[in-house]
Amino acid sequence: MQPITLKGRVIVEGHCTGEALVSSKPISFLGGVDPADGKIVEKNHDLCGACMKDKVLCFPHGHGSTVGSYTLYSLAKRGLAPKAMINHIADPVVVVGAIITNIPMIDQVDIKQIKTGDLVQVDAYKGVAKILKRKEN
Amino acid sequence: MYLTKEEERILNGEYGWANQTCMKILVRLGELFNAQKLISITSAHVSGVSYKTLGDAPIEFLEALADADGRVKVKTTLNPQSLDPEYLIKKLPENLCRKQVDILKQYDRMGLTRSLTCTPYYLGNPKSGSHLAWAESSAVVYANSVLGAWTNREGGPSALAAAIVGKTPDYGVHKAENRQPNFLVNVEAQLRNETDYGALGIYLGKLIEDKIPCIQGLQKPSKDKLKQLGAALATTGMANVFYCSNCSEGKGVEKINVEDKALRRTTEELSTSSTKKPDLVFIGCPHCSMNEIRQVAQLIRGKKVKHGIEFWVCTSSHVRNAAADYVNEIERSGGHVLTGVCTVVSWTEKLGIRTIMTNSAKTAYYAPSLSKAATVLAPMEECLKTVLRG
Repeated sequence: MQPITLKGRVIVEGHCTGEALVSSKPISFLGGVDPADGKIVEKNHDLCGACMKDKVLCFPHGHGSTVGSYTLYSLAKRGLAPKAMINHIADPVVVVGAIITNIPMIDQVDIKQIKTGDLVQVDAYKGVAKILKRKEN
Repeated sequence: MYLTKEEERILNGEYGWANQTCMKILVRLGELFNAQKLISITSAHVSGVSYKTLGDAPIEFLEALADADGRVKVKTTLNPQSLDPEYLIKKLPENLCRKQVDILKQYDRMGLTRSLTCTPYYLGNPKSGSHLAWAESSAVVYANSVLGAWTNREGGPSALAAAIVGKTPDYGVHKAENRQPNFLVNVEAQLRNETDYGALGIYLGKLIEDKIPCIQGLQKPSKDKLKQLGAALATTGMANVFYCSNCSEGKGVEKINVEDKALRRTTEELSTSSTKKPDLVFIGCPHCSMNEIRQVAQLIRGKKVKHGIEFWVCTSSHVRNAAADYVNEIERSGGHVLTGVCTVVSWTEKLGIRTIMTNSAKTAYYAPSLSKAATVLAPMEECLKTVLRG
């Protein structure tokens, strides 16, 4: 397939390619994510039970507790953090988490274009995400 | 972003690693959100204190900052920890308590005040119009909306960075043009008590994204009720500020109505317990004001807490000391007035607590995941009826 390019804004620079994990709901890293295994635990969340380790995590924005930045730090130290993060609107709590852990991050991206399981290349130097391959059914 | 010569020197590492790291965080944030400069702050409030929510890895980060002579330049208060020094410390495993002591030690070394509360504004109100760098989302909303001070919703590390540098990037709600309401909320529902205000916040937080709501139709709410509204708004959203005066309907301003049905449904969703028989009844999220402690004391006067049920009232040691007479009444009746802690950031699940009844929508939202507990959300009066004999 022809790669689909989605333009955004650089938050934390970096480059990676990985499988997308996409949510239509905001994420609170404190309370919403178990720092022991990287799984989303918030009940009624569309990603409840999914693990964010090594994924390109796409979600509209962060919400809730300001301790969420440290939860991202803990996930990164345990090797459970996402490979990259793509947001619609960057929330300072998630941004600070990405800065202190050096997780590549871009925002202002139309994340509805991306589906869970798609292979996505994130160029967080240029602020661009490319869908390289759609998930095979 | 413009940096002074002094700020450049900090960024280049001339004042050591801690100052440099903190400056990097601030400059990165500032560049991202189009700040032109850094501005001085009058106080900071730091989250990331409880060992339960912080975990092990960030302790190394705090220790490294303290080792590299990171010291705060402005008055900086701390959020609650995972236990209190009188009651829970005797019930929780020693290794957890030791880790908690270790975290506080790092903050001590950096010069932070052991306020251990999510309501630092009860220790001294920041002046209206003053610039702050506060974490703790409920305190951010209260400072901006009720006290008229100006602070972004800082992440725990960026509040600490601002405290150590003494400055914050000039963006977001530090600028008057970004404090204008742009989302009109017309509340048709009857708000009967503090729990309804909390439910309204949970409901709105999911809708407003980064917009600033002007909420109309509220009947002269007390500051305590606005505290519940703001805490809940920040729980499900990324709100910094709300207004509840009359706002004009500008062009392009979104507008919604909140009906009774939406509020009832939100309240029902926040009560997950099928039995409604709590192991713990909890008042004090956010931490109780003097007025709230007085209300609890009046309701409990001359009565006794039932056997087999815990009753906690959480506040800061500052408010507890000021409310000594009320505290005595609550404790004579078998309740516990705990300081510097709350259920959300402690280990209630290790005390065998499976169901928590509370008047706080924020606690009801977090308890199923953070405390592995079922919830009953009900106003203070109903909570007290449940916990008292006769």
